[in-house]
Amino acid sequence: MRYENKQAPEGINVSKVHPLKQFAILVIASVALLLALVLVLQFAGSAVAKRIPFKYEVQLSQKFDIALSTPDAPEEIVTYLNDLADRLAPGLDLIDDFDVQVHYREEDVFNAFATLGGNLLFYRELLRQMPHENALAMVMAHEMAHINHRDPISGLGGGVVSAIGVAMVTGRSGMAEQAFSQTSLLAGMQFTRQMESAADTAALSAVNQLYGHVNGAGVLFELIGDIKADSDAVPDWLERISVTHPLSKDRVAAIKSLALHNGWSEMGELTKLPDAFNDWLRQ
Amino acid sequence: MINVIGFVLLLVVGYLFGKYFEKRHYKSIIKREEQFNQLPAIATKYPPQDQVYQQQLVSGGVVIASDYFKSFVAGLINVFGGRVTPFESMLDRGRREAILRMKQNAQAHNANYVFNVKLETSRIATGRLGAIEVLAYGTAMIPAINPISAEQDQPSATPGA
Amino acid sequence: MLISNLEILPNHRIVRHLGLVQGSSVRSKHVGRDIMASLKNIFGGELLGYTELLQESREEATERLLAQAQKIGANAVLNVRYSTSSIAAGAAEIFVYGTAVEIVADD
Repeated sequence: MRYENKQAPEGINVSKVHPLKQFAILVIASVALLLALVLVLQFAGSAVAKRIPFKYEVQLSQKFDIALSTPDAPEEIVTYLNDLADRLAPGLDLIDDFDVQVHYREEDVFNAFATLGGNLLFYRELLRQMPHENALAMVMAHEMAHINHRDPISGLGGGVVSAIGVAMVTGRSGMAEQAFSQTSLLAGMQFTRQMESAADTAALSAVNQLYGHVNGAGVLFELIGDIKADSDAVPDWLERISVTHPLSKDRVAAIKSLALHNGWSEMGELTKLPDAFNDWLRQ
Repeated sequence: MINVIGFVLLLVVGYLFGKYFEKRHYKSIIKREEQFNQLPAIATKYPPQDQVYQQQLVSGGVVIASDYFKSFVAGLINVFGGRVTPFESMLDRGRREAILRMKQNAQAHNANYVFNVKLETSRIATGRLGAIEVLAYGTAMIPAINPISAEQDQPSATPGA
Repeated sequence: MLISNLEILPNHRIVRHLGLVQGSSVRSKHVGRDIMASLKNIFGGELLGYTELLQESREEATERLLAQAQKIGANAVLNVRYSTSSIAAGAAEIFVYGTAVEIVADD
């Protein structure tokens, strides 16, 4: 009997895989899986959140003890904005318990948005740029339509559910906490393009009902277009795929075709803003 | 952001150092295995009958840690399932090193063979980072120079050797 | 290729011992199976996913063992032993080793 140790060749118990190639494939697959998970959870979360009755949403938002208006905002401007909202409301196909509160923020930000609990926030710089009431009414009706379509709560629901899902998978809770934090009420919701387009359509109809024409409704988007053109040189196609808001010039075109389609007049007398409007927007 | 940079740094360092150490370890394993093939390790219980042997239990152990890169890739593989290839080389190295150390121990006893070799593997680190221990043990067969039985058979053996 | 956990084969004679041969396989199941298994831990019972996983691993490890034996010119592996160990969370290793031999049948 002979006893010997023969050397077995290398590579039988170790698979021949290039580690970096394997790493790349795994990372790409994981990211794709995570994105799919986020999309599914976002969809499910927003669908469920949309079913929460509006009055509970209002109660929920009141739990956030946060001042939405600038504390010493001029009463006249707040009254005027809320009055405009009341005048536009009949033009929207309102849900049960619909109610909006318009808040004025004395900050030089060109923005206005709708948030949880029927709260609309208007910033001073946006109001300052408004040439007439018709333009402002379009913005107001657009934000009211978001509330009416339950966009803030479904956005928040989708965000919270997907953040919790991601936190469960990755073990990081930071995102979920952030979604729950009070500042999310002031940060402005991210709406999808479909939400924006639906809000535009509803808003235009409300504006038409109030004034009998849609003249001046597209001014805001022309303004946004101007500001964008001044500030940066991002190509149109890139903006089309990257930003949630539809492109400003696409929205102007959409308004025109919508007006044409519904037989809404684009000619008509523009309503002036109140005489003291600029005084209210004190420095 | 600092977290991300730290993470990428750990991956790069883990990959480069892990690869370097593994290459170096395999080189040394292959070189020593060639030497130690003179001392066969056999996984059978029946010892050779050609001459009289003394017996000695010998063992060799080694603990090997996986690098950060391997652990991360293994974690990703765990999501999709399949062969956890990053750990294969770690285990292979551990086993061969343990056997080599056992043989080294046997050689110190001037053994000709190691019989009834057994291997044990266990995971000794908890948490995300893995480390394994491999233990190889067996019976070293040492040619008897002056065993009791040999004295009876061969009275001419050198006394006291 | 003959594989056995006996040390001596009836009606065969071992001509040469060729030393230790080994085969190993580390595998993991996808995360869905892991979740199902953790649920099953509440109720008890067989973890079918893991039974299957270890069976696949055992087959692969055995294949690798036989490949080593074949490469060094053996025609049988005797005194074969299997061992299972958990290498990382959700990943199990099957290791098999034995002694590679050359046998001839007795007349």
